[in-house]
Amino acid sequence: MYCILVYDVGEKRVGKMLKHFRQYLNWIQNSVFEGELTKGQFDEMMGVAKKLMKKEEDSIILFSMQSNKYLDKKIYGVDKSGLTSNFI
Amino acid sequence: MKRMYYIFTPGKLKRKENTVFYVPFKNVEPQDDENLQNEVLLSVDSDMAESLPTNKIVLPVQDIDSFYIMTEASFNTKFLDFCSANKIPIHFFNYYGFYSGTYYPKEYLLSGSLLVNQVKHYSSISKRLEIARKFIEGAAFNLSKNLKYYNTRNKDLQAQIDTMEGLAMDIPSATSIEQLMGIEGNIRKVYYTGFEEILGKEFELISRKYNPPSNPLNALISFSNMMVYTTVLSEIYRTQLNPTISFLHEPGDRRFSLALDIAEIFKPLFADRLIFKMINNRQIQTKDFESRLNGYYLKDTARKAFVQEYDEKLKTTIKHRKLQKEISYRRIIRLECYKLIKHLIGDTEYEPFKIWW
Repeated sequence: MYCILVYDVGEKRVGKMLKHFRQYLNWIQNSVFEGELTKGQFDEMMGVAKKLMKKEEDSIILFSMQSNKYLDKKIYGVDKSGLTSNFI
Repeated sequence: MKRMYYIFTPGKLKRKENTVFYVPFKNVEPQDDENLQNEVLLSVDSDMAESLPTNKIVLPVQDIDSFYIMTEASFNTKFLDFCSANKIPIHFFNYYGFYSGTYYPKEYLLSGSLLVNQVKHYSSISKRLEIARKFIEGAAFNLSKNLKYYNTRNKDLQAQIDTMEGLAMDIPSATSIEQLMGIEGNIRKVYYTGFEEILGKEFELISRKYNPPSNPLNALISFSNMMVYTTVLSEIYRTQLNPTISFLHEPGDRRFSLALDIAEIFKPLFADRLIFKMINNRQIQTKDFESRLNGYYLKDTARKAFVQEYDEKLKTTIKHRKLQKEISYRRIIRLECYKLIKHLIGDTEYEPFKIWW
């Protein structure tokens, strides 16, 4: 599935979350990630994320869809595209 | 599905924070590989430099299927170790775009009994012939399928198709591997004569030559075949098959000959069709090649364009008849490996992949 993940966590845990999610998804903006995951990868990722977060304070929101075919992405301002590409 | 990552801009790959960082050379700190950095920066031509990413890029390790290094890159053993731990093969291509090798991480899907069976099928001449025949049969079918496609589109290729099908009739009666290879060679020779009809005069093949490729089309065919070969190798790595024991090609030293065997079946679909498409749409033209050292080579920009199309191609999905679901072209290769395994362990007889659309 194709995911867009945003998080808002306490300052202390921002770095940890960043490092963790970077292993699974492409970083596109501060606290925003995007990418393709399998069910297994997703469970693995969220399993660890749940341990890292403080349930009372932090929030992680995940938007997901079957594939990015239906996703219309537009970038305004600074174009950081290429960060999600597999051609470097 | 995990993606293949293609590195076209010179830089350093490293393990950091349990994932992969890519740092273009102009951002590498001076104390790291200073000599290497200067050397490489001098060799980067101006139009490449513009497309250099300005910052580090973090690649999600969980998204990496394999690496294709098409340029100068540096890394250390920590990075290789990390790739091994995450089961990521790295394919290297040299300055001229020739395949130079693969970093093949430690095997992780081991099966002693399959290995024994694989060797048994290799050493018994009748069993080996049976499999080799299937590979050629599949390859011949797919080759003629390609010509048939263009035959219905105002190109006259009937003569080639007839000759190829005539030659293919001899496959079942072949009694040695050499004979099979001979038939395969003849079929391909006829097949290549059809290229001029499909691609027009501008890209003339005359004859297939490599080491070095004698004209632009030869260069393109060589490059695309290497891409198919490496893709097949990556897929074999994901199965229990041993990549060095092959049936059609002679298992030699220092090469993964099973990948050559299986690639035979997929070259018509993955490589040739892409060549036809890209040349006919003028995405690749004769000016995209340069002649050097008695040979022709693809320029960087064209190489990148080709790889991009190739990657798209692998992601294309079709409905599989037997499985009744959408699968990608890349998946077909894996399924082919599974079919071969089933044959080797005596479960189901191997039937080569034939283009059914």
